[in-house]
Amino acid sequence: MSSVWRAARAAVRRRRMQTFVIGLVVLLSTTTIVVALALLAATSAPFDKAFARQAGPHAVALFDPAASPPSQGPGVAAAAGPFGQVELESTDSVRFGPQGPLTVVGRADPGGPVDKLDLWQGRWPSAPGEIVLNEPVHDLDRMPPRSTSVTLGGHPFTIVGLAHSLVGSADAWVTPAQVAALRPTATQMLYRFTGDVSTEAAVEASLATATAGLPLTASQTYLVVKEQISADVGVYVPFLATFGVLGLVVGVVIVGNVVSGAVVSGYRHIGILKALGFTPRQVVAVYLMMVSVPAVVGCVLGSVAGSLAAQPLLSEGFEGLGLDVGIGVGPWIWLAGLVGVPATVVLAALVPAVRAHRLSAAEAISAGSAPRQGRGTRIQHRLAGVRLPRSVSLGLGLPFARPGRTAFTVAAVLLGVTTVTFATGLADTLVRISTIEDTAAGQIGVQPSNGLFRVAPDNAPPPAGPPATTTRTDEQVEELLRGLPDAARVTAIHRLPVSAVGQTEPLPVNFLRGDYSAMGYEAELTAGRWMAGPAETVVPTEVMRGRGLALGDRITLRLGGGQAVLTVVGETMDGPQGPPALFVDWSVLATMAPDRVVAPWDVYYQVQLVPGGDIARYVTAVTAADPAIDAWNNAQLSDFLVTVVSFSSVLSLLLSTVAALGVFNTVVLNVRERRRDLGTLKSIGMTPRQVVAMVLTSMALVGVVGGVLGIPVGMLAHRFVVPLAAESARVSLPLSVMDVWHAPTLALLGLAGVVIALLGALVPARGAARLTIASVLHNE
Amino acid sequence: MTTVVRLENVRKEYGDTTALDGVSLSVSAGEAVAVMGPSGCGKSTMLNMIAGLDRPTSGSVRVHDEELGRLNETKLALFRRHRIGMIFQFFNLLDDLPALDNVALAAQLTGSRVGVARQRALELLDELGIADRRNVYPAALSGGERQRVAVARALMNRPALLLADEPTGALDSRAGEQVMDLLLDLNQIGQTLLIVTHDERLATRCASRVVELADGRVTHERTLERA
Repeated sequence: MSSVWRAARAAVRRRRMQTFVIGLVVLLSTTTIVVALALLAATSAPFDKAFARQAGPHAVALFDPAASPPSQGPGVAAAAGPFGQVELESTDSVRFGPQGPLTVVGRADPGGPVDKLDLWQGRWPSAPGEIVLNEPVHDLDRMPPRSTSVTLGGHPFTIVGLAHSLVGSADAWVTPAQVAALRPTATQMLYRFTGDVSTEAAVEASLATATAGLPLTASQTYLVVKEQISADVGVYVPFLATFGVLGLVVGVVIVGNVVSGAVVSGYRHIGILKALGFTPRQVVAVYLMMVSVPAVVGCVLGSVAGSLAAQPLLSEGFEGLGLDVGIGVGPWIWLAGLVGVPATVVLAALVPAVRAHRLSAAEAISAGSAPRQGRGTRIQHRLAGVRLPRSVSLGLGLPFARPGRTAFTVAAVLLGVTTVTFATGLADTLVRISTIEDTAAGQIGVQPSNGLFRVAPDNAPPPAGPPATTTRTDEQVEELLRGLPDAARVTAIHRLPVSAVGQTEPLPVNFLRGDYSAMGYEAELTAGRWMAGPAETVVPTEVMRGRGLALGDRITLRLGGGQAVLTVVGETMDGPQGPPALFVDWSVLATMAPDRVVAPWDVYYQVQLVPGGDIARYVTAVTAADPAIDAWNNAQLSDFLVTVVSFSSVLSLLLSTVAALGVFNTVVLNVRERRRDLGTLKSIGMTPRQVVAMVLTSMALVGVVGGVLGIPVGMLAHRFVVPLAAESARVSLPLSVMDVWHAPTLALLGLAGVVIALLGALVPARGAARLTIASVLHNE
Repeated sequence: MTTVVRLENVRKEYGDTTALDGVSLSVSAGEAVAVMGPSGCGKSTMLNMIAGLDRPTSGSVRVHDEELGRLNETKLALFRRHRIGMIFQFFNLLDDLPALDNVALAAQLTGSRVGVARQRALELLDELGIADRRNVYPAALSGGERQRVAVARALMNRPALLLADEPTGALDSRAGEQVMDLLLDLNQIGQTLLIVTHDERLATRCASRVVELADGRVTHERTLERA
């Protein structure tokens, strides 16, 4: 064994470049694989995992406050409670904070057999006047400064911590003694059941069995929350899964190519070892050891790097949904990185090594000396007659000398280009969606105050000072906004649930006044046309589907004794900010309820400025004109857009780098195998620039083929995955946002493959140009 | 007579090893000089200096009035392309190309058009008696045929100086004889030759002067009377 170890160690030392390349490729591939597996794991039933980790309750049951329900019962696997519960109204003046009424529960600690809360900030309340709020894990540094106290139901509380309950068993928690002092209105029990919990009916049946004879006043199953969260996460799943699969395949392909290439290029050395008396088994062992040393180092470092890289991506994707707890690089992913990757390396090395095992010493030496005659010679002969610079035509023929290696390299570039294409299309689509929404939403949002609430837009500190009530009427506010400099279009939106004939619940309606038809909502149409008059309505997809509506349907709205019949003429992707609602002209409201007075603080105003208008100046002008009106810049990139574009950019860069490394390795191997040819060419007058041109041309061809094949695959992935994500988000997309493939984009993407290939080939090509002819030819 | 090669006090060191130790030599146009000596005496190193394949540690190497030490890699490549033809012991043909394209390659690198290059290559192969083997790949050629292809390639750009490193070293005696005849013929029509060889027969047959090297130094020079 010592001779094997010595030979392997000598081989590693002698082939420092190859050892470095194997180590680097394995490192980056392992990083990619770990990130990919983490993404795939995260997208696989994320709610169920987080729910299991918290031992979430299948049902939250509320009983009469005097009741003392038992924690045991038929079909009950575990239970927590009884906890006192009370509803308290928030009377704080900041709108973006805890809003009332809040469900406050008294719990002695965050643990227990059910609903194990994640206390991610601060501590648990231990005294009266202390409270913990229910919030998903998020980065507090990125939030506006917040108050450390809250007033609920007239009682001041100090916020001592932040915890998260996935099913939202409470909005806040206090000590049991505190909740007793607040006189609870219900007793809360949290149940996990042993039987079938897959459907609403099954959970309710289990709950009924467990609570038979008890004064149950209300209940909610975990499936309500699961459906909501699944819809939110579902938007990310197709993207993450696509990048995950691409990363996995790229990683495995590159490792296989690099390692098998290293062994194939060592055939001559294998022959020499055999000639020296090494047994075939020892030779195989030498080669496995030779590639394993850098591979093990690479995969250990890669696993660490991958887990570090995956965490921010996952946090970004799942932050705010409460699923980030429990999502990460689990033990099996570490196992895949630390065991799976080396196993792939050994397997990739084993196949050619076993072949070398069967060859005689002479055959191995001959097989490793140069590409066998016959491979690509016909193509080289034809290219010799082509009217191209000879260095270029020689380069074009090189990939055909090692078709297997070239195929692997093309596959690597193809996957790199696929990733870049998909990411480009995705980013373009999201930017288009964002642009359409931003345009329609207006550049400036305006909300008059009612004296209780002020609007603190995202990432801005809450407005200072006590709130005032605007003295303007709705119409006067609109008049003010139109009269300020630079105002081009103003839309007033009043949101109201309105009863509709044939609907069991009121329909959400946005009554719109002003310039709404010119704001840009028309660009959000996914079917039909825009409203031509007050008797028509346009409906967002989510409402269409949720309420069973279709184009051409007639809806009868009833409000305040009056009614209006509207025809659905169009379907939109979305609508003004807030939950999706029907677009209805304000005159319909006036027709149905002529005596209704709409307070200005119940109206949200959108403003678009003339081209070149100064948003900040307009916002300042609004506040200066009426301090009781909040105005803010609406033109901010959405978190979703930033998140998806960020991680798709990071993953594209990572996968492209790995693909370029695959090219790098191929060129290193090709150059080493063709040292004699390169020396010969230089000896007859090939200049260093011609050598570089020849080598780069050989890989540019690989890049072109990879690009030509990778672009359609990336386009297909875009066409398939983006609608899937939209479906998860319950929206349909306008055709315009999918129409992202135009000649300039495709031309640039076509270059992506060439760029990946050339970047990977540049360093070894320059190395080839610097080869010392005398030593090369002398060695031969 | 014009001096084609002039070495002045050329020294070449590889680490602690001195391959050439103050060698001076000149070769005139039309001369055929054989460099002889035992293995490791510096013959091939000297040839590499003259061909611009390697650089001296000190001293001056001038070929056709070009001071090679002052040329960068690109200019050295252009120098080799236009001024030098090289023949190697192991032929160094490209396995991927048939004989004709191997020969034409040297001209194509200079930018010659395919048709022109192939026509000239065919003429050379014809002159060397292997035109019928033009479409055969090196692996299928005999040793003598391969060396003739290599000679044709070396002559492709009409070099002023033909350098041969053990040109018969890998050939059987019959093929060796043919290559000797070929080199002799070339010299007789005015081609300047510098041959590095162990083979006394090659030297006496083809060279008009023999330079003997030992331990990196010129130890002896003799002029030969050719038959």
